[in-house]
Amino acid sequence: MVPPVAVSPLIKTARWSALFLGMFYGKQRFEYLKPIGAEERRIEEAEKKAREEQERIDKQLAEGNQDTQILTPSSIGDEPGA
Amino acid sequence: MASVSSLVAAVTYSKPRLATFWHYARVELVPPSPAEIPKAIEGATNIMKAFQSGRLGQTTVKDAFRNGLVATEVMMWFYIGECIGKGGIVGYDV
Repeated sequence: MVPPVAVSPLIKTARWSALFLGMFYGKQRFEYLKPIGAEERRIEEAEKKAREEQERIDKQLAEGNQDTQILTPSSIGDEPGA
Repeated sequence: MASVSSLVAAVTYSKPRLATFWHYARVELVPPSPAEIPKAIEGATNIMKAFQSGRLGQTTVKDAFRNGLVATEVMMWFYIGECIGKGGIVGYDV
């Protein structure tokens, strides 16, 4: 087996300080992004509710319209469903 | 019972490989001891001086390529640290 290489101290300090800096940076960025994510989810929830409400209303209107016929001057006197 | 025997097989497979990994990692991957940190600072100032005196322009392509690979590896340690800090591998779990 090849004997292990003696790594220069500069590279060793650079590696491990990069590791700790990365952990610190990741944690800070996560904490910064967390409230933004929560806010976006809240907005998405509210919009989804409003959309579903609107869809419900539209569906009811569409069901209500199925039985009736919209009266126009040319349709007076037509058979129902004509 | 099959899971026990596969576990035993996995252990017997990985033991010598872990031994070789540990044999190299114990020397190459350890953090710097407190005595080595002044040498690291000295190395960094050497690089700064070489940059200022223009000696860096005389590095061979082979050396420059090797240094580039080392620098890339150091950067990868930063990204691994970021993955540890944010608690996930891909993306932030907000």
